[in-house]
Amino acid sequence: MPEIPDWFRPVAEYMLREGLPETLKIAAVAVTASTLIGLLLGTLMTINFLPLRSVIRLYVEVWRGIPILVTVLFIYWLPAFDIGPLRIQMNAYASAAVGLTLWGSAQVAEATRGAVQSIPKEQHEAAAALGLGWIGRHTFVIVPQALRRLLPPMVGLLVNIIQNTTIAFVIGVSELLETGNRQFENLTLATGNGHPFTIFGFVLVVFFIISFPLTLLARYLERRLV
Amino acid sequence: MFHSPVEILAAFDTGFIWDYRHELWEGFKNTMKVAAIGVALAFVIGLLMGAARAHRIPVISQIGRAYVEVIRNTPILVQMFFLYYGLAQLGYRVEAFTVAWLSIAIWGGAFNTENFRAGFEAVPARFREAGYALGFSPLQTFLNVTLPIGGRIALPSSINTYISVLKNTSLLLVISYPELTSVAYNIQANTFKTIEMFTVLALAYLAIVWTLSALIRLLEARLALPERA
Repeated sequence: MPEIPDWFRPVAEYMLREGLPETLKIAAVAVTASTLIGLLLGTLMTINFLPLRSVIRLYVEVWRGIPILVTVLFIYWLPAFDIGPLRIQMNAYASAAVGLTLWGSAQVAEATRGAVQSIPKEQHEAAAALGLGWIGRHTFVIVPQALRRLLPPMVGLLVNIIQNTTIAFVIGVSELLETGNRQFENLTLATGNGHPFTIFGFVLVVFFIISFPLTLLARYLERRLV
Repeated sequence: MFHSPVEILAAFDTGFIWDYRHELWEGFKNTMKVAAIGVALAFVIGLLMGAARAHRIPVISQIGRAYVEVIRNTPILVQMFFLYYGLAQLGYRVEAFTVAWLSIAIWGGAFNTENFRAGFEAVPARFREAGYALGFSPLQTFLNVTLPIGGRIALPSSINTYISVLKNTSLLLVISYPELTSVAYNIQANTFKTIEMFTVLALAYLAIVWTLSALIRLLEARLALPERA
């Protein structure tokens, strides 16, 4: 068993105390927003009305096509502007969350469209026979059933978003990678040896410990539910 | 100072982009170069590791599983840092270009291993048994039966991996490899032509990704298994 060097403990504590909560916060915001927007857009995409479908399709293809990093940088560097009385100026944290949400909601919308369309026609007819309108049918009957099929890809999305929060590093958000890199630079300046192998290895390990159980859960749900 | 989105759009300077066309073209070429190497290696790694995984070849299969889980459950950005600075600490002098194609290929290879494994495992066992009944060796059975069928089952998902590989080259900005995103980002930092630069960048990626997707769907239609069409 190799001994843990003295310098490592404060570095690791700093990363877990300062960096990890930021990573999880951005991920939580992005996943929640992606799910809500994606479910709505994906359900609307099943309506047979070409202009609406094309607009949502464009949204999905644009945000899936542009690398998330480019979206996040774009939002971050956008000059401040006014919409009516509202002054819009994004800070780093919001830029990362919005960029991830644009990408994530596009992913959810595409998955939702497939899941909603896979619900048999009889379910629509039965719900309509109960006197429910389009909104009621989808809110109470169709989408809840589609959610079951959506669960595994949603857990997969969560894993993806957690990993992609590292993109916020580029615009200076103090998430896990940024705090690790900061410690690496400090150690390099102070001692001449930044221990990049150990520090970035530690970042990899933390992400793995968070992601791997979720990946296993997604696989388990896939087998159970689909 | 700008006050409304309309003013921002009105100030859009198209001539500026033309002035920087050479730099951007160089960046585009670097992006395509790294992506091409990454995709080619991801294909080879995926094919070999996927075959080993699907046929449960001892040792290689377990190593393949660990490789896939580690790469898929950690951020590619951290993998790039780990390779770039970690290899240097271990005494290997590495250039940004080396880390660029290597990190992209390792990532794509892991995802492709899963794609090919799933494809090969989807080939019904009776097809392989038919191969053995014809006197094929295991390798011949793989090359003549499992690969042509399983490879085509794996095609759509592996294509999505290649497109992700291409988009991931944008992350090479963090190790200062001069691909399209980092070139555009540097121009933006020097000139503050934010809207112009990022619009071009976003449109460039959309053009590449959408063209590739369209071409690939054509290829897919041609290669699709007849019975699934």
